[in-house]
Amino acid sequence: MRMSSNLVTLIVTLVIWIGVFLFLLRLDRKVEKLKKEIIP
Amino acid sequence: MFWKTLLLILMCCVIAAAFLLPPPQSQLGEVSRIFYFHVPVAWVAVLAFLVSFVFSISYLRRRDLIYDIKASAAARLGLLFAILATISGSIFAKSTWGSFWNWDPRETSVFILLLIYGAYFALRSAVDQQDRRAALSGVYAILAFITVPFLVFVVPRVYQSLHPTDSVIDAGFRIQMSTPVLATFLGSLLGFTLLFIWMFELDYQISRISFEKMEE
Repeated sequence: MRMSSNLVTLIVTLVIWIGVFLFLLRLDRKVEKLKKEIIP
Repeated sequence: MFWKTLLLILMCCVIAAAFLLPPPQSQLGEVSRIFYFHVPVAWVAVLAFLVSFVFSISYLRRRDLIYDIKASAAARLGLLFAILATISGSIFAKSTWGSFWNWDPRETSVFILLLIYGAYFALRSAVDQQDRRAALSGVYAILAFITVPFLVFVVPRVYQSLHPTDSVIDAGFRIQMSTPVLATFLGSLLGFTLLFIWMFELDYQISRISFEKMEE
């Protein structure tokens, strides 16, 4: 019971982390694009 | 890109290790695993406030607005990580002390810290003129950081607190952790520090782009 509860929390935490990572990566690409346009 | 991929893998390993590798602390049980996230997040908050302090000094010495942009980016992230530390601490408090908020000395000192850095952004938004805003908030950030060691390290140890004080080092400044606990903890510290560096760089670049756009 405790092990399965831990696994659920582990999976939820992993999903949150991967979501944050992908968001930051997308933002990173947008910033790079904007930087090339605005700061030559 | 290489170090970002490494960060992704490192944090996935840390999260998996935190839930599976070390046994739960005998008295606190499974909730003790929050230690692997709560302490590194609190560490990053203090680091961010330190970075803001250093860039504020740099601004006041050189009067270059780039340093002000960097100082505000660091303070913003410090506030974000301090909020995350407060939320993770409240979850721990609920399961060990019975309620999310007890006005324990540690909770009260973090609340005051959040108010101090919240006021930093209120001050920034209240002044329109760029140089004046940068100078005022630079002085404020220096004064604000002076309170950090007292609020984070001194107050909770001077007053009786329910918050664990020897979870990282004991009274004799010795590390009292088994190898799996120490490895997971250090991995988490490294991961959150790298995440802060990445977020700081992003926040700085976004603020700089909007600054350049305003200048045009």
